[in-house]
Amino acid sequence: MKYMIIILLLFSNKASAQFNSGARFTGMALSGVSLQDIWSLHSNQAGIVTIKKTAVAIAYEKPFADQELNSQSIILVQPIKKVVLGIGFQKYGFSEYQLLKAGFTIARNFGPDVSVSLTFNYHELKISGYGNANAFTPEVGFQYQLNEKIRLGAHISNPGNGGFGKNIEADLPVILEFGASWKFTPKVMIAGAITQYNNSSAEVKLGLEYMILDWLALRGGFSADPSKQYAGFGINYQNLRFDVAAGSNPVTGYSPQIALGYEF
Amino acid sequence: MLFILIFPCGITSSQTTSNTIVNQLIEELAENNDEDVDYSELIERLNYYLKFPVEINKINYDQLKDLFFLSPVQINNFLNHRLENGKLIDLLELQSIDGFELPDIKRLLNFVYLALPNSLNKISAQALLKQGDNELMVRYSQVLQIQKGYSISDTSSRSRYLGSPQKMLFRYRYNYGRNISASLNLEKDAGEQLFGTLNQPFDFVSGNITFKNIGKFSKIILGDYSLQFGQGLGIWTGLSFGKGATVTGIAKPDFGLKAYTSFNEYLFFRGVAASLDLKSFRLTGFVSYRKYDASISSPDSITQSEINSLSISGYHRTLNEINNQNSVNEFLVGSNLQLRKKNLRIGLTSYQSTFNNSFSQGNSLYNQFELATKSIFNNSLYYAYNLKNTYFFGELANTLHQGSAYLIGAISSISPQVTVVLFHRNYQRHYQSLYNQAISESSKAVNEKGFYSGITIKPDTKFEFNAYADVFKFPWLKYFTDSPSKGYELLSQLTYTPNKKFKIYGRVKKEVKEENAEVINSVHEVFPYSKLNYRLEINYKINSSLTFRNRFECSHYQKSADNQKGFLAYQDIIYDPLQSKFSGNMRFAIFNTPGYDSRIYAFENDVLYSYSIPAFQHQGTRFYLNTRYTLAKGIDFWAKYGITHYSDLDVIGSGLEEIKGKNKSEIKFQIRYKF
Repeated sequence: MKYMIIILLLFSNKASAQFNSGARFTGMALSGVSLQDIWSLHSNQAGIVTIKKTAVAIAYEKPFADQELNSQSIILVQPIKKVVLGIGFQKYGFSEYQLLKAGFTIARNFGPDVSVSLTFNYHELKISGYGNANAFTPEVGFQYQLNEKIRLGAHISNPGNGGFGKNIEADLPVILEFGASWKFTPKVMIAGAITQYNNSSAEVKLGLEYMILDWLALRGGFSADPSKQYAGFGINYQNLRFDVAAGSNPVTGYSPQIALGYEF
Repeated sequence: MLFILIFPCGITSSQTTSNTIVNQLIEELAENNDEDVDYSELIERLNYYLKFPVEINKINYDQLKDLFFLSPVQINNFLNHRLENGKLIDLLELQSIDGFELPDIKRLLNFVYLALPNSLNKISAQALLKQGDNELMVRYSQVLQIQKGYSISDTSSRSRYLGSPQKMLFRYRYNYGRNISASLNLEKDAGEQLFGTLNQPFDFVSGNITFKNIGKFSKIILGDYSLQFGQGLGIWTGLSFGKGATVTGIAKPDFGLKAYTSFNEYLFFRGVAASLDLKSFRLTGFVSYRKYDASISSPDSITQSEINSLSISGYHRTLNEINNQNSVNEFLVGSNLQLRKKNLRIGLTSYQSTFNNSFSQGNSLYNQFELATKSIFNNSLYYAYNLKNTYFFGELANTLHQGSAYLIGAISSISPQVTVVLFHRNYQRHYQSLYNQAISESSKAVNEKGFYSGITIKPDTKFEFNAYADVFKFPWLKYFTDSPSKGYELLSQLTYTPNKKFKIYGRVKKEVKEENAEVINSVHEVFPYSKLNYRLEINYKINSSLTFRNRFECSHYQKSADNQKGFLAYQDIIYDPLQSKFSGNMRFAIFNTPGYDSRIYAFENDVLYSYSIPAFQHQGTRFYLNTRYTLAKGIDFWAKYGITHYSDLDVIGSGLEEIKGKNKSEIKFQIRYKF
């Protein structure tokens, strides 16, 4: 089974490259590039600028509902004067194969409508019996509030095409992402995104968030190429946030995840 | 103000522009459903409401459902509005009802009116009580080239068409006010004999007499009828739509008992049926005895004769087809009980269908769960419930001693601009129903699991965005698919209508499924194949009587090494002046698709009550001219000429349909007399 997973990981770059961006964005088909949330730290970091107080969040995902494979993330966001800083860690894999990522982000507003972010990541790949490899990659994020309802976002990961080295199959792709979100009413928001990888075709995503009650959000979405359907919900209770989401792919099955967040 | 302008023309112009609005609605519907469905029934239904518009304070649930362009959420909102606020005193009120956008209201106003508190009410009542209306129509059509099936000599023992290449159709309708109607359809297909083996002119004869609102009976039908209950999982005959660009169309509006008026020779019932209204309940009982065409295995000493397959084509052109004609019979009896409370509808349908022979399963592994008995007993339970802005629907069906199937769904208008559709289905492989037309990827709702999610966004009156994703699995084998398989379908469409004169839309559709390799080797594996279609269409009015329409569509089919790319482009000119005796439309199309798998479908204008959605393949051009002329009051004449030229073929079609040459052309004439 473990070897099957390794094979699966090596052949599915999109799956391994996609860092877990929390249950809220996952429930919206990972269309978070133009959205603002603490989990923007693992999507488009320019979205963390709206955070006014210290916030932490954790997430746990079981990709493909496999027994061993999982992804764990912890993130911390701290506003300091005009900038917002963020630190995020993520572990992905199982005992014999682990991909670690640690990132540091600085984001700030330029005027009322524009926000920009810069991120530095450290990646480490551990395969038992084969040793370790590491890599550094930067990310740049950008968001623009077009009008009251529409927000645009753009994000680039690893523009220098850095990687673990020639002999290591696990690739760190160059990813370019654009998106827009549209808040139709205070209750209904739709987000769309196009993600282009340097090593495979573009992915088109559409996500929806519906605040059916003040404290309860329902989410859903789908992506084309690869075709996936997503669904999730979120509960807000005072400063606490609890989100659940699952993605479903006809080939790999379900990937459920939960996330917990707290704002001080 | 706008409504005040629209309202009077809603009544006055309905006679002259009747075809325009119906054509427009049918075209829009056909654009969104590429499959070949019989629109004639729908055209007839809409024309009926054009002729007899319903008073807006009297229009009921069933009548609103007949106007297919209204969604279930809109219908419920309308009825609740009327219940809570009393009678509408102005059509402007429609604007205040949730979910009613300007385009919907404009459409609706063609089929309803508001009775003013003066003599107008009496006039319309008198008009209805006036003597009955008769409508007589005859259609003639023929392919002009000689097809192979007609050129084989009598003395030859080879299969050939025994009849003449003309297709003839006779249609009669009688309406006495709103209470009594009758219909008679006669048809001879191309290749069929006018006086065939049945010793009657025309080999398809269908008709009925319908009584409406007689005492507690809301409907009584003697003759041919169709039944549409719930979501079509248990029983549904006649017009039915699958997945299309109208995402809210996933929930089917069921019409219950209906007179059968279509020329499709397969899906209908023949006998007696009646609906009885008892307070909130409606009880429908039905009995049918009819014959089907089928190929039957000959009996031997051990086995009795069995039905190999039912023929759905309705053709009786060759000796073989004639031998299969009416070779089996079915006796069907059943009932439906439906409860309708304010926001809730629950129904239960049961029926028993018995054939005079058993069905044979066939020897292949894929069809071993198919029907293998003489008779089936089917039950289905369905519901529809409106809660605030959400419409919930579902159906559970079971074949006794066989399998079950269920579907559940919800349509929710989560904001005035955004509507979301969710739909889950699970149809077991041994669920049996000959009349099952529930939403499915396969042609029948069996052996399938799937989840559909769709969204409609109308940010303002100018833009409309529709998208859906449907992911499905087939847990058992299918024809040409030697293992369980899976797939998905995605569609997105953006429409921009800046004003009444201009409309543009773009659509992308992608479908990925699995099937066998073309060459089967010892290992039975399935391989994915994908179909990708892009479409751009522009519609613009040059002036009040002239409309131009352009479409460009590309198709891309891919399966392993087989990679086909094709396109279709056409120019339509539609001439339809108000108050004119003459109207017409024409098309010039060019197409180039490498093969069957990359074929492209396009809806074509046709003579009234006729429709065609030809598939374009190979390389060539198509031209058609379709005209209508009013000879005198009540007498209309239609003519159509169409020709397809294939530049890469010297022989068109195959088998008995084969034509030598590069051209295939067809003429069609039709005359209608209303008296």
